[in-house]
Amino acid sequence: MVHTTVVGNYPRIGDTHEEQKLRRAIARLDKGEITEADLREVEREVVRDVVREQAAAGIELVTDGQITWYDSQSHIARGLRGIEIDGLVRYFDTNTYYRQPVVKAAVAWERPILVDEWRYARDQSSVPVKAVLTGPATLAALANDGHYGTREALAAAFAKALAQEISALAKAGAAHIQIDEPIVAQKPDAFETVKETFPVLAAAKGKATLTLFTYFGDVTEVYRDLLKLPADVLGLDLVEGAKTWDRIAKHGADKPLVLGVVDARNTRADDPSAIAKRVRELRHSVDLDDSYVSPSNGLEFLPRAKAREKLATLAKAASLIGGAT
Amino acid sequence: MSALLTTSVGSFPKPDYLLKARAKASKGDLSAVQLHELEKKATLDWIAFQEDIGIDIPVDGEQYRGDMATYFAENIGGTEISGLVRSYGNRYYKKPIITGELSRRGPISVEWFKFAQARTKKPVKGMITGPYTMMDWSFDEHYGSRQAVAMAFAKLLHQEARDLEAAGAKIVQIDEPALATRYDELPLVVKAVGEVAKGLKAKTILHTCYGNYLEIFPYFNRLPVDQLLLEMSNSGFDLLDRFKREPLKKELSFGVVDVHSHVIETEAQVRERIEKALTVFQPQKLWISPDCGLKARSVEEAQGKLRSMVAAARAAKKAHGIV
Repeated sequence: MVHTTVVGNYPRIGDTHEEQKLRRAIARLDKGEITEADLREVEREVVRDVVREQAAAGIELVTDGQITWYDSQSHIARGLRGIEIDGLVRYFDTNTYYRQPVVKAAVAWERPILVDEWRYARDQSSVPVKAVLTGPATLAALANDGHYGTREALAAAFAKALAQEISALAKAGAAHIQIDEPIVAQKPDAFETVKETFPVLAAAKGKATLTLFTYFGDVTEVYRDLLKLPADVLGLDLVEGAKTWDRIAKHGADKPLVLGVVDARNTRADDPSAIAKRVRELRHSVDLDDSYVSPSNGLEFLPRAKAREKLATLAKAASLIGGAT
Repeated sequence: MSALLTTSVGSFPKPDYLLKARAKASKGDLSAVQLHELEKKATLDWIAFQEDIGIDIPVDGEQYRGDMATYFAENIGGTEISGLVRSYGNRYYKKPIITGELSRRGPISVEWFKFAQARTKKPVKGMITGPYTMMDWSFDEHYGSRQAVAMAFAKLLHQEARDLEAAGAKIVQIDEPALATRYDELPLVVKAVGEVAKGLKAKTILHTCYGNYLEIFPYFNRLPVDQLLLEMSNSGFDLLDRFKREPLKKELSFGVVDVHSHVIETEAQVRERIEKALTVFQPQKLWISPDCGLKARSVEEAQGKLRSMVAAARAAKKAHGIV
């Protein structure tokens, strides 16, 4: 039977008073009414809530919701040497913004960035927690490079640094580690950078299952090349990247997939029966028993209540897909 | 001849009494009429402040808006409002959901324009959230086509622009912060903004921010408006060299203070930015503005930034012999 997972981020606040505690805490910190330590405590409460919320909705492999991340780029980049964090830049075509990393000197890994966060989430969760990192090709594409001179050289430096993070996560016991490379779905040319850097990451994974995830579009041009990379699992956005469906049906997959089938960018309700029917059509070309269904990308672009509905839809679709045969 | 006119992008922070009132109103502890009175008071305060420091082209300050897209959607038929969605940092907004055919219920911002304009002799900008941004910042559960949504908004917003003009607006600003979202859709931005601005006699301004300007640069001259209002401080002034090589054939409002920083720029810092701008642009075609709306700053920070801006513009005018 197909499994259920999520992609990464999750709405950090909702519409109830209780669900807005993080927003209130940050506002109070800004006014000097609470300390950084107080804020960390509230963040942890929200991580606990979010981990449990996902499991309660029927998700088998959850994340910490990236609750403590300012954004997908600066959270990891600020933990590396050689980087300063600058002004706001729009994040792809989402109406969200990231603080742009500026590479000032050689990039180097100094200490674990995500390990404590992952460990805390794991301790709060009844189901396995996946560690998620933004990949080197995407980090290099969205950063402002003032040191290396080429995207390729910068991506290689990020890969070397992130490999150490992956190694630290694997040693801490993370059995599932995911690398996000949305840039591939935006610019197929970026595949060459992923091709160069991903093996460096894979070499550091130890016993962990390593997933490569692309989202915000299709990967029709590079689907078969992506399968050849040393990832254990390949994650795909099949909503904005709906064109990739045909590639999967035609070429199959020799490894498990994460099928991003529930629309994480629109409030419109998805039809779990239609999703299940479409996924079952892949049963002869994909090993559905080892594969997952997921939202098309992180859920933080939706209101919290809608994110919960999307997870319920996902669990319902998975149950309808049932066994692969 | 007027030159180096000072202006603002649109939003100003809400004073504490209004923030508290909005919180009360959202819980049902304050009536809509009582809230409206406080919104009027805050608007008057901001008009008075702008008069006091001598801003040339004032704005109403948008004290009555939560979010720029949500406010317009709330006043357009065929929409609902979602729960909170994050923009960045600790900023969230309620995103519009399009659930049916978009339809105009009546003027949206015209009464506020009239209210503000009646209190100053200077020309207040009429402010419209642009059709592309309205589309991009809404969930579409109805049309299933980004082009169809943008053009449906454009037709409604053209009527809004006409009504602003009829109410006396000499300047109409179309805010398109989403302009640089998808480069392949820039022709749609041009078409939709053109639909809003067509036939207007008022000076038209398009404001955008936070995109890769160098990629959208070829479209700057194609946008069917008289003036662009661009964020320049937060972008590190990268654009100036490009403008040197490929001149803008329109007026420019040049953003000189960073709206995302708590730090209040000094008059000297702002002056330096204005001088940089003057190496590329004729003063007659150059207005001076913050990068973007100041609503995320505190009242004190916003006022400090505006004071530095006006003082620096005044000093620059004097130094260059501009009357």
